[in-house]
Amino acid sequence: MKNEAEIRTHLAHWVAERSNTPPEEISGATAILEQRLITSLQLMELILEIELLAGNSLDVSRLRPGAFRDIDTIYKNFFARKVG
Amino acid sequence: MSSGAETVAALGSRDGHAVLSGPLLAAARRIDTLFAAWAARWNAEEFRFPAVLPASELDRLDYFRAFPHLATFPVVLDDAADNLRRLSSGGALEEDGSVRLPATAPVRDVLTPAACYHFYIELAGSSLDRPRYLTTVASCFRREKFYRPLFRQWNFTMREVVCLGTMEEVTSFLASFREALNGYFSSRDLPIAWEDATDPFFDGASNPKFIAQMVDPVKTEMVFSGELAIGSINSHRNFFGEAFGIRRGGRPAFSGCVAFGLERWLYAFLTRFGAEPDRWPTSLWDPA
Repeated sequence: MKNEAEIRTHLAHWVAERSNTPPEEISGATAILEQRLITSLQLMELILEIELLAGNSLDVSRLRPGAFRDIDTIYKNFFARKVG
Repeated sequence: MSSGAETVAALGSRDGHAVLSGPLLAAARRIDTLFAAWAARWNAEEFRFPAVLPASELDRLDYFRAFPHLATFPVVLDDAADNLRRLSSGGALEEDGSVRLPATAPVRDVLTPAACYHFYIELAGSSLDRPRYLTTVASCFRREKFYRPLFRQWNFTMREVVCLGTMEEVTSFLASFREALNGYFSSRDLPIAWEDATDPFFDGASNPKFIAQMVDPVKTEMVFSGELAIGSINSHRNFFGEAFGIRRGGRPAFSGCVAFGLERWLYAFLTRFGAEPDRWPTSLWDPA
């Protein structure tokens, strides 16, 4: 599994690519859904991407509001405990 | 003297519709005047739209995938004389009261399910040089599993106030409107709680838009007494701007709306303040 910096960079590039935004403009606190950098269809792709990176599947029915707000939150929710 | 709840119960039900007259009708009109006064704070331009929307426009929003269970279609008959005679020659109804329809003409419209859709169609392809504030009141139709007068009706009245602009303009509009409503609710002692909500998607678990709403709430409802949403504040992000090519500052416009269910406000006032609108606090009609 990638380390924290690699995961964050990977996610920032993933969002940047889909939103035609320079990667350096995607910070850990960039509100990716609120600014609609990705669409609802791309959110499903993002979930798959997180599953690939984390090595386990997410239970969509248990997702909570704000779970994908920004890369900081995504990292905290889906990777922090595993990477340690 | 009857209570507000008894008045609601006594309204009778024609498939869950309330028939208003006298003081209740006057109160309903005053409630809409209150909504319009809030809209006037943003100098919202008033529009009046027809009761139908082209199905092709709603299809651009993927409406029939998301909300097929809510849609109501206006149906007319194929106008061939022979076909019309099949109905006019008698026996129009089945034993259960349903109409024995002969051939119908192609259905191309939908009865308006939400007032604000009309605005995005109206502004399609336009480029905004300033934020636009708009309002309309519409007779809306949503098929539901059950009906109750004032509480949940097939045909109901919705007033909406809409902002189209940049993300910041829309965010500011929605926040200011919510603040104004908070002041109104608390000073009139109306038990309203704000609750995040999702739209009632069909087969939601398999619809990415539902999942997106779940993790990124865009709808906040004004819930009266823990039982009934009497309105909502909705952020659409740039969904309608993208779908209808409406631009602001060279990018797809953001939009948001504040929606009021008129009959539900009447239900809330009746339940909270009693059956006689003449005895309700006069401050209810003051938008300040």
